[in-house]
Amino acid sequence: MAKVFNWQIGREMDYPFEGHRPQRQFAMIFDTNKCIACQTCTVACKTTWTPGRGQEYMYWNNVETKPYGYYPLGWDVRILEALGVQEMDGPVYRGKTLFDATPTGEPILGYLPEDMDYAHPNIGEDDCAGTMTQGAHLTLPHMQWMFYLPRICNHCTYPACLAACPRQSIYKRPEDGIVLLDQSRCRGYRECVRGCPYKKTYFNAVTRVSEKCIGCYPAIEQGRQTQCTIACIGKIRLQGFLGKPDHPNEDNPLDYLVFVRKLALPLYPQFGLEPNTYYIPPVHVPADFLRQMFGWGVEQAVELYRRVAEDKKLLGALTLFGSTPQIIHYFRVDGDSAIGYDATEKELVRVPLHEPLVIREAYDQAHDAYRTNIT
Amino acid sequence: MKRLCAFLAIFTLALAAARLHGQPAPPEIVAIEVPGNNPIVDPHAPLWREAPATEVTMLPQTIVVPQKPDAAVRQLSVRAVHNARWLAFRLEWADPTQSDRIVLDNFGDQVAVELPVDPHGPAPSPMMGNPGGRVNIMQWRAAFQHDIDHGPPTVQSLYPNAWADVYPDQVLSVADARAYTGALGVENPISRAAASPVLDQMAEGWGTMTVKPDQYAVGRGSWKDGRWTVVIARPLVSDDLYAPRLAPGDRTVAAFAVWEGGNREVGSRKSWSPWVPLVIGRATVPDRPGKPKGSKP
Repeated sequence: MAKVFNWQIGREMDYPFEGHRPQRQFAMIFDTNKCIACQTCTVACKTTWTPGRGQEYMYWNNVETKPYGYYPLGWDVRILEALGVQEMDGPVYRGKTLFDATPTGEPILGYLPEDMDYAHPNIGEDDCAGTMTQGAHLTLPHMQWMFYLPRICNHCTYPACLAACPRQSIYKRPEDGIVLLDQSRCRGYRECVRGCPYKKTYFNAVTRVSEKCIGCYPAIEQGRQTQCTIACIGKIRLQGFLGKPDHPNEDNPLDYLVFVRKLALPLYPQFGLEPNTYYIPPVHVPADFLRQMFGWGVEQAVELYRRVAEDKKLLGALTLFGSTPQIIHYFRVDGDSAIGYDATEKELVRVPLHEPLVIREAYDQAHDAYRTNIT
Repeated sequence: MKRLCAFLAIFTLALAAARLHGQPAPPEIVAIEVPGNNPIVDPHAPLWREAPATEVTMLPQTIVVPQKPDAAVRQLSVRAVHNARWLAFRLEWADPTQSDRIVLDNFGDQVAVELPVDPHGPAPSPMMGNPGGRVNIMQWRAAFQHDIDHGPPTVQSLYPNAWADVYPDQVLSVADARAYTGALGVENPISRAAASPVLDQMAEGWGTMTVKPDQYAVGRGSWKDGRWTVVIARPLVSDDLYAPRLAPGDRTVAAFAVWEGGNREVGSRKSWSPWVPLVIGRATVPDRPGKPKGSKP
């Protein structure tokens, strides 16, 4: 085991290979407060990449309802239970990662799901946690809550799938950090499916090898964001590149939201993989649950999000979500607009920080009709 | 508790007795010569009756991760024959479950024969060779046998109640549909419906196993009454650079691996054997009585 630095847990940790950060890291930020689980991203991914034989059950992108939604069944509950209760006060994580907890004879702490665990992609959909008492009224966080969690492969800095593959059929591209599985070299041992705690590698029973989210690399290479990002009608996503954790660039919207403002947090940092998709936590969900899911900075992130209207630069970065199909490398706020630029610093998009408010008259003279609030 | 103690005592005694009366380590595998020129693939052919069986002790793979300390198969019965053109091994072992349906949580039965590429040099590591010590590994898979006997897997054959709309390969050209065919589109040998249920491969260490571009190994397997009987054969001499060139009278080594799919064995989660001496017999002609064994006709 080599020693590598994981900035998300604030310490060095064991990993089977030497650490080499890519030149820039494929990353995505999801604003969970805006996701309505319309599954447009899921369909966009499905029709683009996984309509083939043996791929019927594959969702390289899925959206599940937390706390009771999972795909496959119980994926996070099962691995959290296997890992056991850990100390996670932060900013340095003192508990065990999946690599620290590796059982004898295994490459990493993991488990292989059963076929039937994939039989219910919408299990737990819209199910709530919590009970309503007599005389209850709405507060924050809500006493009864749920939220939607969109998920793709995290293209981790220290991928468990890569660590678990005995044939090194999985590799991480140095140019953009996208994690790919070599379809000509894989032998279908399913060690990657067992090892990935996020269960974002899938086994194709027709071709008898594993497959995974490819980060839409053909689009990325053309400067275009992923299919799931540009198809998102809620504009909850921003996809681009993270820079170096110790040298963040404030003009890069992803660096700014992740490293500088710490508004977007990784999913289950305690696993130790340094996942590179980041979540703006939902503001209406109890902090204990969010802390387990997104780590120790979650209360501050929720507080910050509630005050975002007061913060022009932060608002500007969030306004760029879903604003262009192109990858935004730089941004700035100019007056009441946020501007996104491509890698050559050419302007891609200019978005107003505030949509103009239009109040329509109840009576439409042009059409001689009354408007109601349901049209 | 008393019962447990009594059981343990009996078990220990039985183990000691087995050691006292147990067979010594197998001396060697002798591939006797049989008539014919064609590939030997029938596991139930009468010619196997003449070949002596060598019982090879199989060990759970516990050296490299991932491991399988409770690997199921502990003994493999090996017979070998050659007909001056083809060398064949008949491998027999107990396996209560016929595992030839591969889905996420189902693994296939498999067996492999390993030979050093250089049959006369120092033996490489029996665990898939080592850098500079190449091995030829011929692996039979129950799933491939199923493909040959019943056709390649489809979603409907694997999951009878599955439903799917039109697939891209039904409406696009072959080239355009390739993006949706995954490993099949790049001709991964694990995915294809092959002519032979045996993969001809080479390796020089853990994780390096590579399927050769030209396939020479053939074979056939059948499962009956809780036992697999599998034949794996290859030419004694071929133009394959990564295979041993053998002749009657040669002495080399062979090693074996078995995967019990029902015990979730796959990849390095398997049983393996160290090298066993292998003799390519000069001649044994069973249909000509009186002929001394081991002498050239």
